[in-house]
Amino acid sequence: MKVITTKGVVKIYNPDKIPVKALNGVDLEISEGEFTAIVGPSGSGKTTLLNIIGGLDRPDEGDVEVGGHDIDAMSDNKLIDFRKEHIGFVFQAYNLIPVLTARENVEFVMLLQNRPKEERHGRAEELLRAVGLEDKMDKRPSELSGGQQQRVAVARALAPKPDFILADEPTANLDSKSTANLLDLMAQLNKEEKVTFIFSTHDQRVIDRARRVVTLVDGKVATDEVRESE
Amino acid sequence: MILIMAWRNIWRSMTRSLVVMGAIAVGIWAALSLTGFATGMVKSYVNNAVQNIVSHIQVHQPEFLDENEVKYNIPDAEAVEQAIRAEPGVKAVSVRSVVNGMISSSKGARGVSIKGVIPEEEARVNALDENIVEGDYLSGEGRNPILVSSELAKKLNVKVRSKVVLNFQDRGGSITAAAFRIVGIFDTDNNPFDLSHVFVRRNDLNSLLIPAADSSLAVEGLAHEIALMVDDIRQVNLIAASLSSKFPNLKVQTYREISPDLELYEGQIKNISLIYLTVIMLALVFGIINTMLMAVLERIKELGMLMAIGMNKLRVFLMIVLESALLGLVAMPVGLLLGYITIEYVGANGIDMSMYAKGLESFGMSSIIYFELDPIVYLQVAVGVFLTAILASIYPALKAIRLKPVEALRTI
Ligand SMILES: Nc1ncnc2c1ncn2[C@@H]1O[C@H](COP(=O)(O)OP(=O)(O)OP(=O)(O)O)[C@@H](O)[C@H]1O
Ligand SMILES: [Mg+2]
Repeated sequence: MKVITTKGVVKIYNPDKIPVKALNGVDLEISEGEFTAIVGPSGSGKTTLLNIIGGLDRPDEGDVEVGGHDIDAMSDNKLIDFRKEHIGFVFQAYNLIPVLTARENVEFVMLLQNRPKEERHGRAEELLRAVGLEDKMDKRPSELSGGQQQRVAVARALAPKPDFILADEPTANLDSKSTANLLDLMAQLNKEEKVTFIFSTHDQRVIDRARRVVTLVDGKVATDEVRESE
Repeated sequence: MILIMAWRNIWRSMTRSLVVMGAIAVGIWAALSLTGFATGMVKSYVNNAVQNIVSHIQVHQPEFLDENEVKYNIPDAEAVEQAIRAEPGVKAVSVRSVVNGMISSSKGARGVSIKGVIPEEEARVNALDENIVEGDYLSGEGRNPILVSSELAKKLNVKVRSKVVLNFQDRGGSITAAAFRIVGIFDTDNNPFDLSHVFVRRNDLNSLLIPAADSSLAVEGLAHEIALMVDDIRQVNLIAASLSSKFPNLKVQTYREISPDLELYEGQIKNISLIYLTVIMLALVFGIINTMLMAVLERIKELGMLMAIGMNKLRVFLMIVLESALLGLVAMPVGLLLGYITIEYVGANGIDMSMYAKGLESFGMSSIIYFELDPIVYLQVAVGVFLTAILASIYPALKAIRLKPVEALRTI
């Protein structure tokens, strides 16, 4: 089943001053259960594409359908709710709420969804155990390493069982060991919980682990390669 | 959870939060203290006036108030006096005869209102006996004793034991003159009053006021003014109304009616506290806006992230407003307590203003002010400051929800 479909997506920054065509007609379909890397040189439009798929930004031309919804038709506040219900985000940095503990961060989106307390607690513990942080549940982000923080972010993104998870260079600030750990975790969750992952990266080791690699060049899909699982 | 986040957020910049909270607490303290000071000053003025001059309620013959002539005495004064004494809630009664005349010494003369009183009765209604600064209060002994104020004594260049002459018209219309000897000098804090009043014994005055040929009135029966004090000042209007209905032909007035300025001052207390509160709230608004704006601007990325992962605008808005409200709520008890301690302390011990305001006495106020505060003002200040904190957070909160998540996340 298709979760994401983009047709002829164009995004132009600074249309009035010096226009930058960040995306220049992107056609892409992503199905349930994929583990897909978006790669390409710096400035090729990876972040822009993820933002548009995630409803954080709007295209200037083209259609974006997410889980059967035309997200361009939604108001800003509607989009916030849509993201809350359907999409998990892992950013490069600034993922976590500094004043909340790891457990509270993981529960946060479920809380916004008004899920009952027992469900939140159970899910948060289960996920923090799954990402190997059962002993850090009550630590605040500042007491965790960069890799641990990113693992909490993945747990947070997974907690409300979103349709898919968007991760923009989730390993960019991590050393190679943390990178490997995070990828193991994502791959395992993808396999066991059938979570759809879409992530952008520059890192060859990360690209090697992807099952589908979409390469962007100058805001267009240059190659789209599906591999057999590792 | 929003509450927990807001609470923890205000402790992220501990110093900054403590500074605003300190400002709020000091603002509350200042609003309370200034209002307490103003209230104390007004109450001191009113109490002085009531105790030294007007008393709580006065009863006259209506024409006496207009014409001020001796012939308008209270008919059947003894019966009226008995009825007033029997009225529940009445603490003390003094029956006076009053005549306008002239007091003269070898150095000068002045127009005065001469009040004939029964010394022991007058002392119960009026603080006159306590206000004697030289010599003695009136007593039954001696011939024609008189009390004058220190101001008047200065003008007439007289002192205790000096002789003065009083001139006035008696009930028959003829001019009478009599010599009196000063036995004591009084000083209330009200100069205009002091200059224009002298006190003698009622029988001395009455025997001069009633011409020898007039046998219609006994010396004890002539009275123009009945002044009384009540047990509880809040009962003044009730008691006055009751007396009014009992003596439809007499004019019964409360201190507010006798001295409308007292009512005016009492009414000003409310306005004073509102003015102080408004000024202080205005000052606080800017401090709080500034702090909350800083708190928003340094968290742009985080706020962008919150909106990206699904925290809607209403919740972000509420979180910012809550942070500001919490700043106010934490500072509030501190400020209220400081204010309360100040009011209670100065209320009990007083603050001597004579160093700063030499002229207070010429306005009829004591130079020692005792702070006083209507408890409702604590509530007004608390509510006012809380609303200020919320109002001041609206602009920063609007700024926060206008952020676009992508742009917010990109800012460094
Ligand atoms: N807000 C913006 N305003 C103007 N130009 C922008 C903006 N954001 C991105 N761009 C431009 O759009 C193009 C695509 O940017 P984008 O961030 O999507 O690239 P990217 O592939 O994510 O790059 P990187 O690998 O460096 O993260 C770049 O040329 C960039 O300079
Ligand atoms: Mg990028």
